[in-house]
Amino acid sequence: MRLSRALTTNTEGREGASRVAPLLSSGVSKGSLPGPYPQTPEERAAAAKKYNLRLEDYQPYPDDGKGYGDYPMLPNRSQQERDPWYSWDHPDLRRNWGESMHWDFDMYTRNRVDTSPSPVDWSTMSKTLLGYLGFMLLMFGLGEVFPMYQPVMPKQYPYNDLYLERGGDPEKQPKPVKHYEI
Amino acid sequence: MYMTPMMLSSSLVLTLNILLYPLLTALDPTPKKPQWASTHVKTAVSTAFFISLIPLMMFLDQGTESIMINWHWMNTSTFDINISFKFDHYSLIFTPIALFVSWSILEFASWYMHSDPYMNRFFKYLLLFLVAMIVLVTANNMFQLFIGWEGVGIMSFLLIGWWYGRSDANTAALQAVLYNRVGDIGLILSMAWMATNMNSWEIQQIFFLSKDFNMTLPLLGLILAATGKSAQFGLHPWLPSAMEGPTPVSALLHSSTMVVAGIFLLIRLHPLMENNQLALTTCLCLGALTTLFTATCALTQNDIKKIVAFSTSSQLGLMMVTIGLNQPQLAFLHICTHAFFKAMLFLCSGSIIHSLNDEQDIRKMGGLHKLMPFTSSCLTIGSLALTGTPFLAGFFSKDAIIEALNTSHLNAWALALTLIATSFTAVYSFRVVFFVTMGTPRFLPLSPINENNPAVINPIKRLAWGSIIAGLIITSNFLPLKSPVMTMPFMLKLAALFVSIIGLLSAMELAAMTSKQFKTTPTLPLHNFSNMLGFFPSTIHRLMPKLNLTLGQLMATQLLDQSWLEKSGPKGIASMQIKMSTHASDPQQGMIKTYLTIFLLTSTLAILLMLL
Repeated sequence: MRLSRALTTNTEGREGASRVAPLLSSGVSKGSLPGPYPQTPEERAAAAKKYNLRLEDYQPYPDDGKGYGDYPMLPNRSQQERDPWYSWDHPDLRRNWGESMHWDFDMYTRNRVDTSPSPVDWSTMSKTLLGYLGFMLLMFGLGEVFPMYQPVMPKQYPYNDLYLERGGDPEKQPKPVKHYEI
Repeated sequence: MYMTPMMLSSSLVLTLNILLYPLLTALDPTPKKPQWASTHVKTAVSTAFFISLIPLMMFLDQGTESIMINWHWMNTSTFDINISFKFDHYSLIFTPIALFVSWSILEFASWYMHSDPYMNRFFKYLLLFLVAMIVLVTANNMFQLFIGWEGVGIMSFLLIGWWYGRSDANTAALQAVLYNRVGDIGLILSMAWMATNMNSWEIQQIFFLSKDFNMTLPLLGLILAATGKSAQFGLHPWLPSAMEGPTPVSALLHSSTMVVAGIFLLIRLHPLMENNQLALTTCLCLGALTTLFTATCALTQNDIKKIVAFSTSSQLGLMMVTIGLNQPQLAFLHICTHAFFKAMLFLCSGSIIHSLNDEQDIRKMGGLHKLMPFTSSCLTIGSLALTGTPFLAGFFSKDAIIEALNTSHLNAWALALTLIATSFTAVYSFRVVFFVTMGTPRFLPLSPINENNPAVINPIKRLAWGSIIAGLIITSNFLPLKSPVMTMPFMLKLAALFVSIIGLLSAMELAAMTSKQFKTTPTLPLHNFSNMLGFFPSTIHRLMPKLNLTLGQLMATQLLDQSWLEKSGPKGIASMQIKMSTHASDPQQGMIKTYLTIFLLTSTLAILLMLL
């Protein structure tokens, strides 16, 4: 009797119901999955506790129909930015156990996008690179229009420019062909 | 009986089988002795080298080349795929050179990796790479070439990520695979075009039929493939990142053999490109841009392996320029001579790194000329050969290329860039030699400097011999297929030498300034550009993955559901209606009397018009 009651899932409306999930040894409990957007301060506090964040740090995504629910909006910082010398629980991931994961955590792993600050700021970098590429393309275009070559002349063959060998008439006098000047 | 073809084919098949034997025995699950790597793999490679000299001598003596079709693998009624080997001028010369260099590198690796618990696996990977490379080089059809192509790519991934516990090594291995994959798009495009238009993947048939077709599309595909594999500009960042792998890997894969696979593909299929001006110009301009860009990046690097990696990339750009000049044989000559001195530079770097207790920063080396005389001498010989010092190995290929550049009708900017890059070569080579061998030591006194191990000295010695005499031997024995231009003005003939000397002198001048303190850190934007590799990795590696991954994430989680469940049904119709109704109701100001008056007026007008 107690076992069957414990196995039933519908506890809504029952007074004194403290368990809202079946007595199973595996699977997540209903309160630990992400839920809808928190409307009241109590829901906010419960959501912050669920995600292991302090209430001050907990900031959900704005509720504009994109489907984020109450998932926290963590700063867009890659794992590469985290302290390499701190003794993390998972040193290769630079993450502690139970820490709430970023929505795009698979993008911010150490093998992928890196948001760590660069010595030169982004706009300077992109402008320099694009400027360099544009300059190179322009100069290549100019180089195609004004190519470099060694000036050469047509080849001067002997025997009247090989008149007989090219099938000229032996009776006629060939016209002199001269490609050079002295 | 015709002895020569039989001997040729037999010795070449024997070479391949000798290389395959350790791999096949490695499939046996019983663990191998720790010396298996040295006794089996190294011996196999050296034996294969000596046997591959037989066909080379036959080719020298009688000019025999052969094409062997071994097995009709997949043959349908319309399409044939065979296992066929082409042993022509290119593969007959390249195979012994690749085996010689690999033999030296394997011997060196037995010292370098001796403390590694998985040395046998390391040697197995290197041997598998070598087999894939030889399959690529001797392939007579595109499918076999593709097998070798992918094989070297996969082995590159496994070997760069050898120390997979290090996250940077994993990133570098991923970079190599992804960039090579982009190049593979081009190769597969060309293969698909050839299969559908020429109905064959055999090289002879492709050459024969190419006269009837406009080959621009497959040629651009092949150039894309070479851009990926040979690290030309645009797909180049994987090569300096690949220095995360052990030094023997850098020496074998990323200097002498794998990265030349792209150039080799273009050399092999050069007859398709000879008459296509667009493809030639693309090769020329891309190669010139690559060689200057990577030489610029090499000027300010501080990791010795990165400098050598960028110099490899610069030389690959030079080879691409040579292909753009319609000189495949000169490009091949440069591949052969480059293999010797580049592998030697890497081995010397590896020797220095291990001797200084794994220190790779040249700012923390110095004075090694007195402490490691043999290694520093070979480093200098290798650098001299790289810059094209007269009558060393690099001179015969590099000087011939620059002469051909100077006397051709070509893009003037490409010529200018190549000459500037040649002078930069001298600059960064001198920088390496200055920081590493000259001056006073900048490392801790108790460093395990030891040059007495023959496993280190003999490979470097062999490669040093190669760097000195290989150019002379190859050019004396093989006639050029295209006659070089014999007459040119004096200044053009010595142009390469002049720019190298100018580079060397300016580098010496700059090096003399290092002992005088002008500024603590350089703040010039040019230094930033060069040190951060042209800002290319810092921008592209942050932008492109972010765009693609967020797009993928957005599409999978939001856009698909939103569009099919909301936008195409209720919400979409609702928003359209709202828009239309707001537009339509804006003019509705609620002025009923005005509307009635206008209605009466217009209806009266209409009735009057109808009556009239």
